[in-house]
Amino acid sequence: MINLSFNSCLVLLLAAPVVTLALARWKNTRYLPAFLLLAALIASGGAALGTLLGRGGVSLDLTWLAPYPFALALDRLSAWFLLLLSAAGAPVVLFSASYVERHYKGARRHWLWALLPLFLLSMALVLTAATAFAFLFGWELMTLFSAGLVAIDGFDGERRRSIFIYLVMMHAGAAAVIGAFLGFLPHAANLDFASVRAGAPFMTVGARATIFLLAFVGFGVKAGIVPLHLWLPKAHPIAPSPVSALMSGVMLKTAVYGFIRFAFDLLGAGIPAWCGYLVLVAGAVSALLGILYGLYEHDLKRLLAYSSVENIGIVFMGMGAAMIFNAQGALGWAALALMGALLHSLNHALFKSLLFLGAGAITDATHTQDLEKLGGLLGNMRGTGIAILVACCSIIGLPLFNGFTGEWLAFRSFLAGGELSDVKAAIVLPLAAGVLALVGGLAAACFAKVYSVAFLGRPRSAEAAHAHDVPWAMQAGMALLAAACIAIGVAPSMVLGLAGSIAQQLIPGAVVPVAAGTFFQFIPWVAVFVLAVVVLGLLIPRVSRITPTWACGMPGLDSRMQYTSTSFSKPVRKVFNRVYQPQRTVEILPANQPFFPSSISYRSVRTTTYERLYRPAVNAIINAARGLGRAQTGNIQVYLLYMFLALIAALIYMRFS
Amino acid sequence: MRIALDLVQFLVLIATAPLLRGVVARVKARIQNRRGASVFRPYFDLWKLFRKEDLVPPTASLLFRLCPVILWAATVAAAAFIPVLRTSALLGNQGDIVLLVYLLALGRFFLMLGAMDGGSSFGGMGASREALVSTLAEAPLLLGLIAIAIVSHGASIATIVQWTAARAPFELSPAHAFACVALVLVTIAETGRIPVDNPTTHLELTMIHEAMVLEYSGPSLALIEWSSAIKLNLMLSLLVALFVPWGMAASDSIPALAIAAGVWVVKMAVLAVALAALESSMAKLRMYKVPEYLGMATAAAILAVVFTAYKR
Amino acid sequence: MGLVEFAAAKTLASSAVFLFITVLLMAAAKRTNRCIKLFAIQCAVITAQIAALAFMRHSAEAFAVAALVFLVKVIAIPYALLRISRQLKVTPAVVVSTTPVQSVFIVAGLMLLAFAVVQPYARAFALDSEMLAAATAIILTGGFLMISRKKALMQVIGLLVLENGIFLAALTTTFGMPFVIEMGIFFDLLVCVLLLGIFVFRIRETFEHVDVSRLRRLKG
Repeated sequence: MINLSFNSCLVLLLAAPVVTLALARWKNTRYLPAFLLLAALIASGGAALGTLLGRGGVSLDLTWLAPYPFALALDRLSAWFLLLLSAAGAPVVLFSASYVERHYKGARRHWLWALLPLFLLSMALVLTAATAFAFLFGWELMTLFSAGLVAIDGFDGERRRSIFIYLVMMHAGAAAVIGAFLGFLPHAANLDFASVRAGAPFMTVGARATIFLLAFVGFGVKAGIVPLHLWLPKAHPIAPSPVSALMSGVMLKTAVYGFIRFAFDLLGAGIPAWCGYLVLVAGAVSALLGILYGLYEHDLKRLLAYSSVENIGIVFMGMGAAMIFNAQGALGWAALALMGALLHSLNHALFKSLLFLGAGAITDATHTQDLEKLGGLLGNMRGTGIAILVACCSIIGLPLFNGFTGEWLAFRSFLAGGELSDVKAAIVLPLAAGVLALVGGLAAACFAKVYSVAFLGRPRSAEAAHAHDVPWAMQAGMALLAAACIAIGVAPSMVLGLAGSIAQQLIPGAVVPVAAGTFFQFIPWVAVFVLAVVVLGLLIPRVSRITPTWACGMPGLDSRMQYTSTSFSKPVRKVFNRVYQPQRTVEILPANQPFFPSSISYRSVRTTTYERLYRPAVNAIINAARGLGRAQTGNIQVYLLYMFLALIAALIYMRFS
Repeated sequence: MRIALDLVQFLVLIATAPLLRGVVARVKARIQNRRGASVFRPYFDLWKLFRKEDLVPPTASLLFRLCPVILWAATVAAAAFIPVLRTSALLGNQGDIVLLVYLLALGRFFLMLGAMDGGSSFGGMGASREALVSTLAEAPLLLGLIAIAIVSHGASIATIVQWTAARAPFELSPAHAFACVALVLVTIAETGRIPVDNPTTHLELTMIHEAMVLEYSGPSLALIEWSSAIKLNLMLSLLVALFVPWGMAASDSIPALAIAAGVWVVKMAVLAVALAALESSMAKLRMYKVPEYLGMATAAAILAVVFTAYKR
Repeated sequence: MGLVEFAAAKTLASSAVFLFITVLLMAAAKRTNRCIKLFAIQCAVITAQIAALAFMRHSAEAFAVAALVFLVKVIAIPYALLRISRQLKVTPAVVVSTTPVQSVFIVAGLMLLAFAVVQPYARAFALDSEMLAAATAIILTGGFLMISRKKALMQVIGLLVLENGIFLAALTTTFGMPFVIEMGIFFDLLVCVLLLGIFVFRIRETFEHVDVSRLRRLKG
């Protein structure tokens, strides 16, 4: 049954682009691609859920298709991420059915519907790959198809540069991942996961550490760990909103999946302890810097991209803690930390997709992504507004929404870290909890800003004033994701059970501490309590009257006098000045009457430090390439000389090795 | 029986919150050589506000009326976690430290949204300042609580209180001392008292919390005022329960509970007087000195965590 | 005598914490006079500790040392410093190269370093690791105060704090040096402070300021 679902999903995803392009002519089949995709995602979701509930797995050998071993398999870890793909993907597809209809015409629309299923297929390939070749094949396709989808909105000027940077960084990461797989070669001739797993215990610690570092760098580029995150804020804002949702919600998680596969499954035990600290620190730095940069932005999508960096940082913090616990022998707490990472990945997929869809809805209604031009949207866009409110509460990690579950698990495991006997771990882990608390506070500030500037108060532009809500398909997609967020937030026990079984399988001998389970059975009671009090509060009889807002008694209060996104974030930006090092220009006109200005313009540009870090590396590579270029003299005899020298070297090596 | 007792404990916390505010105000007045209003004045204020009209600005959305209710619900739910008479409370489970902090954050988030909904500069000013203060206060609050939790080998408030109550009175472990410093500093910041914020100011430019509620009136304002009173009561009771829990009832007998109630009243009175004295002797900090103040709290909390590792 | 014993035991158990707190407050202090008073409090805590130890070991000599510490370090030296500070008539603010918050974090880091460094020695020689860590932390803080504070009077205070830490370390490891040596040290200290006070006046008269960071002629 599960096999059937999975195979049908693959078939549907392969058939969808063919069908789209074949039936491109007829108008009545507009919604057919979306329908096929939805069916495919529901099938894959069913397969994943079945595997997670223990009803069997999937094993598909397609080696006859490819020159190298090519097999797909669905074990519990893959199933979790496949479930993530389906759960986040289906509402996005529902949203796109209407969104693509409204915003894209002709060839661009057909290309979008052709590339989208291929993108989903490549992600499914990565998640279910059972051999290195299948994994890398899917990895490459993921990059290419997502770049194609990003390019659909246009390929000129600044966009071209951003897509180029995206492709280059993704390929650099892929090179690192290929290197990591190749590192297994002496011990696993076949490079499929089973033989790699069997061969890993015979490797030296140094070899394992090297492979781990290569994998960390490779997957870190894809996931968006600082300082390898440069492509994220360039690629996400320029993509169509559903594509951004899938990239941020699902594609980043494939990197997380790859990392977990390497660190906990393929390499097994025996990674040196300092690797765990490296991952934890890298995660903490990404989380902190991600949200700090996000606070600075007023372009909605770029802000959400930086927020993704932050959340990936939190996931890596959880995984780093799990590795540290594993090295210390506290297997139960390692499982708990890993559960936190898994759960946060799922939650992030749900609420980040919802946020990007909301950005798409806002763009649809007001034709702008700039927070400074929005305002008062809740009055006209009620459904969207409520869904985005749920998403903002979730991303902050407020209780009774799904973000809280992952964060609670992280905090609980960091707390347990304080009781370890190793002094270093006993200090670092609770301090990581402090960093997580700071990050949570900054996220609250950031998303309070986003929601209140966009949806509350007065409209700051004419487009915002005349916005009206989006069609029902788009609202339905957002409502589904919002409902999932609330469901996991209020009753997380089932999802927790699934994640717990995965963690216990990955860390052999671990038993998840019972305390975690009882806490989450307690949450529904808290929800009932809060709801009861809210109802009580709403029942208080009151008479309302509309009166003008208080403006110190002066008339003429208009939307320009509200706080903007820039002013809301000013106090935090001022405190963290060292991180931003902004260059500010303030221009007051007319210059001869500075106290009675007719216009004031304020411009603050953040110093992007990482691009300065990359400059020496890029220059070194270019210089090295130029140096090598000098070996290309153009003279045939010189080339013959090179070949002759290589032959002599091979003979000598053969003789003396 | 136990649930009835916990319910009584919870209702006491909710009901005496305005009284605490009244006592602090009265002591401050006496220190400033005035007679001061009656200690029951906040109750009369609430009664007056509940019977008044709700004045709503024209930009208000459906959130405007909802935000005070959610703030009140979150604060009341948080109050259900605090042990007052017995060593456990109405709600509580392993790991509820984090839940407590985040319930307060839930209330605060909706208050910030409600402030921005008014569409005026003052609401935005209050919300952005509150965002700064709460961001910086979360780390020392959680770190301080985590440090105490590590020392007492538990993860819930009830476990910590029971562990501390079982030890001899006033044993000053360094982790506890530094965590106490951090938590006291954070309490003042979270509840918006001098030196972080002036709860009785009328100058809009010096407000943080008051600026956020400038647009509210009638029953909404009553809920918000009550919530901030409950928050003060909650945080002070939490400090008392975590650091000086001796005197709490170990059994459910009437004499033990009566003694516990009396001891709690005495402890809260001492804290109220101390708070009033502190507020009368210091000036409110400039807005951008508050991060320095919270930086000291963070350093104290970090040291508390360091001491938990080395004190073994 | 139960109450006195109880007080002595409590003092010994908690003096390390009070020393840590005074160290942090000194790092955060923004006024010179406040620093001097904190130094006096620190010495008072050390006096109480010596007295408690003296009581536990029934050593009359140690009581004499406690009395000496009290007279010299809690009364005489702070009084002299406060007089100098008043007569100098410089601005009461402590001019610093690091802000109070940065200083607090640096001192917290130094305390962590002190703890980390002291562990093996405390275990090997069966000493009180907390008190030894406190002594090391005080030494490091004294050094930090000398480096980061620009006014000459603060340099003197930093030196005194440094000496405090060394004295405390000696106390923890050997329960005090021979009595005569201690007397000698105290006398030296007193003369030192008086001389430094005179020097500070001379610096002021010659250069018309006491900002040490502007004295840059110590070059080849």
